[in-house]
Amino acid sequence: MDGTLIGLVAFGAVLGLLALRVPIAFALASIATIGTFVIFAFRTGAFAPERAIRPTSSLVFSNSFDLIHSYDLSMIPLFVALGHIAYRAEITTKIYHAARVWLAGVPGGVAMASVVGCGGFSAITGSSIACASTMGRICTPEMLSVGYDKRLATASVAAGGTLGSLIPPSVLFIIYGIFTETSISALFLAGILPGLVSLLGFLLVIYIWVKRDPAAAPAFTGTITMGERGRAALEAWPAVLLFVIIVGGIYGGIFTATEAAAVCVSAAVLIGFVQRKLSLRDIWESLRETCIQTTSIFLIAAGAKIFVAFIALTGVAPDIVEAVTAAELSPVLLLAAIALIYLALGMFLDPIGIMVLTLPLMIPLIETYGWDLIWFGVVVIKLLEIGLITPPVGLNVFVIAGVVGRDVPIDRIFSGIARFLSVDVLVLILIMAVPALSLLIPTSM
Amino acid sequence: ETTLFFGEAGPNRGARADALNWFVEDVAERTGGELNFDVQWGGALFKADAAAQAVADGVADAGTIIAVYFPQEMLAYGIADLPVQNPDPWVGMKATDELMRNSDAIAQNLADQNLVYIGTYTTSAVHIGCKGTAIRTVEDIEGLKVRGVGAYGKTFADFGANLVNMSIYDAYQGLDTGLLDCSQGYSYAVGALNQQEVMDSYTLLNWGQVGALGIFMNKDVFDGLPEDQQQALMEAGKGLSDEFGRLINADNEAAIEKMKEAGVEIIELPAEERGKLVEKGNTYLEEWVAQADAAGLEGEALLDEYRALIEKYQAERDEQGYPWERG
Amino acid sequence: MLSRIEKLLLDLAVIAVIALGLLITVSVVLRATLNSGIPDTIVMVRELMVAAIVLPLASTAAARANIVVEVISERLPRRTQDWLVVLGSAVGLLALAPLIWAGWREAVHTLESGSFFFGQLSLPKWPGRVLFLFGVTFCWIRLAVQMTGDISTIRSGGHVLVPAKHNPHEEV
Ligand code: NA
Ligand code: NA
Repeated sequence: MDGTLIGLVAFGAVLGLLALRVPIAFALASIATIGTFVIFAFRTGAFAPERAIRPTSSLVFSNSFDLIHSYDLSMIPLFVALGHIAYRAEITTKIYHAARVWLAGVPGGVAMASVVGCGGFSAITGSSIACASTMGRICTPEMLSVGYDKRLATASVAAGGTLGSLIPPSVLFIIYGIFTETSISALFLAGILPGLVSLLGFLLVIYIWVKRDPAAAPAFTGTITMGERGRAALEAWPAVLLFVIIVGGIYGGIFTATEAAAVCVSAAVLIGFVQRKLSLRDIWESLRETCIQTTSIFLIAAGAKIFVAFIALTGVAPDIVEAVTAAELSPVLLLAAIALIYLALGMFLDPIGIMVLTLPLMIPLIETYGWDLIWFGVVVIKLLEIGLITPPVGLNVFVIAGVVGRDVPIDRIFSGIARFLSVDVLVLILIMAVPALSLLIPTSM
Repeated sequence: ETTLFFGEAGPNRGARADALNWFVEDVAERTGGELNFDVQWGGALFKADAAAQAVADGVADAGTIIAVYFPQEMLAYGIADLPVQNPDPWVGMKATDELMRNSDAIAQNLADQNLVYIGTYTTSAVHIGCKGTAIRTVEDIEGLKVRGVGAYGKTFADFGANLVNMSIYDAYQGLDTGLLDCSQGYSYAVGALNQQEVMDSYTLLNWGQVGALGIFMNKDVFDGLPEDQQQALMEAGKGLSDEFGRLINADNEAAIEKMKEAGVEIIELPAEERGKLVEKGNTYLEEWVAQADAAGLEGEALLDEYRALIEKYQAERDEQGYPWERG
Repeated sequence: MLSRIEKLLLDLAVIAVIALGLLITVSVVLRATLNSGIPDTIVMVRELMVAAIVLPLASTAAARANIVVEVISERLPRRTQDWLVVLGSAVGLLALAPLIWAGWREAVHTLESGSFFFGQLSLPKWPGRVLFLFGVTFCWIRLAVQMTGDISTIRSGGHVLVPAKHNPHEEV
């Protein structure tokens, strides 16, 4: 049996099941399981299904269990809980009120504040999913409650979440650095400017969106005196305090980024109690919602993880890279081909999975063209980030969908994302065409 | 012509990857191209902490297993992680390799798990780098926030260190922000992760290594291969320690140079101080012996044999030099 | 009966989240104030993560909170959409079955061999594995019950799916 053929059939089968409204996690896991079974059954040439049971079940178990059995990912339930608790303690409402009052003259000001907030949060966490799940829980409900267009309220945060890996620290840059033996600190520095340009691009999308359709972002209509502004800013102190705790704690050497999540939840609970805005019952309800939401995120991530292991067995990725290598393309065409490969894989697979599948073969090819590996790292991470918000499998989008429930269906969020994607592609081309954008900071330090 | 899946949790760069590629080529050469490996890097098939089960179940036909993730299943192999005085990577690998290859008890223990031992790498000697402080005597360890691993970490804790849990990849930021005072590590890893940028001192402990990581195969698959291919795998596995020893020694030396250039003070821990580390670490040797006995492996005898093998290869190195230096 | 067990499991997951949050916070505070810590925090947090993520699986299924793509299905007749829900459950049962089989083998293996985590406390590996097996198995049962319930609802002429609040043809 040809592995590549099995792999391509599997991609099609996932699309088919998704179209038939099969839950995303189940579609990925079942197709990957069947595909793995087929590959192991034909391992020795003849069809021997009895030999495939043990390796197949072992592969699906270890890939799903190891994903959940993770210390670093404990920040996801904790940051989601922070969002719920901060919402119930009115911490998020206060900061949003301040943003509305101060940015009343800016079209889509609250959405812009959310995206800037995502940028700030990216400087704390290294994971785009953690970024989207936290900011999604904090920003989206507030935007919806002040009457923002559902697509704008969800898509802006899903897109903003992708800054998590471009702005340092970043798990994806660490993995890229390990695979290419490039300096992780240089990669971190290289991500800063492209990350800020991406952020500006997102702000631009919001600006144009709201300019064309002012109803998408109702402006603040109350009276805005200086006193009102001052009061709104003062009342936002709990959020400011939380931010100071996180940033001061991480950069002051008191705790790690993973530990920051737990410390912040504890601090938010304390603030809520002191202000008498939280009851034990509120906390319990918040945590129940947190658990259901986190479980549905992890279920999809586990399905994607199993799918990556299956794709590794098929050999699809090396076959594609070898075909590109054999074609001996011109540099511009090669870069275009690479972008297409990563965008195509990004439709289905998660960023880490794509890197471990492709980098071992891609990097030698890049080296024969004499390209800068730091710059190429920024290109790859940007491509992988775009994959997080492209259909059909866009983890960031699903994270936001988990927050808003059935009120805003997936395809509405994706249709909002389309506007952000168009600018993202321009930013990508800019990063590709102007290596100095990435290399300016690392080479000048 | 047979192609086997090989699962490796690490990347396809660096000394370990070079040695693995050498192993794959050596097997192909010895079998006239009949036996090949399709290596899946970066844990694409399974992560390091699932490796033993995954290889035993046939998710991959062969793979790298790191014993520290399987203190029970890889109990015998874990002897190479013990803090015995054993600082030379090549000597440590040769001793471990010979012990694993020649003990019927260990082979049986692995066979019960559907595994076959093929060959060994090591992380090389354990040292420790610090920021804003320096370890010159064991008394200096008291009160420091240390990222420590395995029995070495436990021994630092016994000397009064406060162990901080974090991965080697986070150690850079930990040292930079002051969350960590010191991080246990290996010279080549310090260089690869650029930790010299955030270190002021690097103390060469010359104490021991975390040496229990190596190539294992699924026993059903191994038994199903023709005898000449089994032989080729074993011969290539035996050669692995010589090849990896050559690579890792060069990498470690280069890393020390890199540290010196970055202004890191390189400190040699005095022999007397090292003696204190070794003595305190004996607790964990006794612990291991008790566990081995409980698993029916005659711990004391294995440990004696291991120490004798270390001496044997130390003598060989002193008399003839490393294999790659012998014209 | 099922929904009560479900609630109980969800509450256990809540306790796991509280426990891991407290564990990390206390270890940070101990380090910052007394320069001491809790041994094997990482191992304990990882085990608690399994409880936090896997125990609510059944509740997620029951709340129909598994994320789906509706762009094509919502244009189909309502009766067809009902059957697609059943299909989704069936695929879920298929996807989870190998996890139960492998989870059982892993749980038995770690219990019988006495596997433990390397660390200061040498904590056993079985609790996380047993929790995983339990959570996935219960989710499977929940899905199976839900699927049979859905089928009989459809047979008796009812609808499984409450129509979405939005209009699918509104400006996409
Ligand atoms: Na980041
Ligand atoms: Na995608």
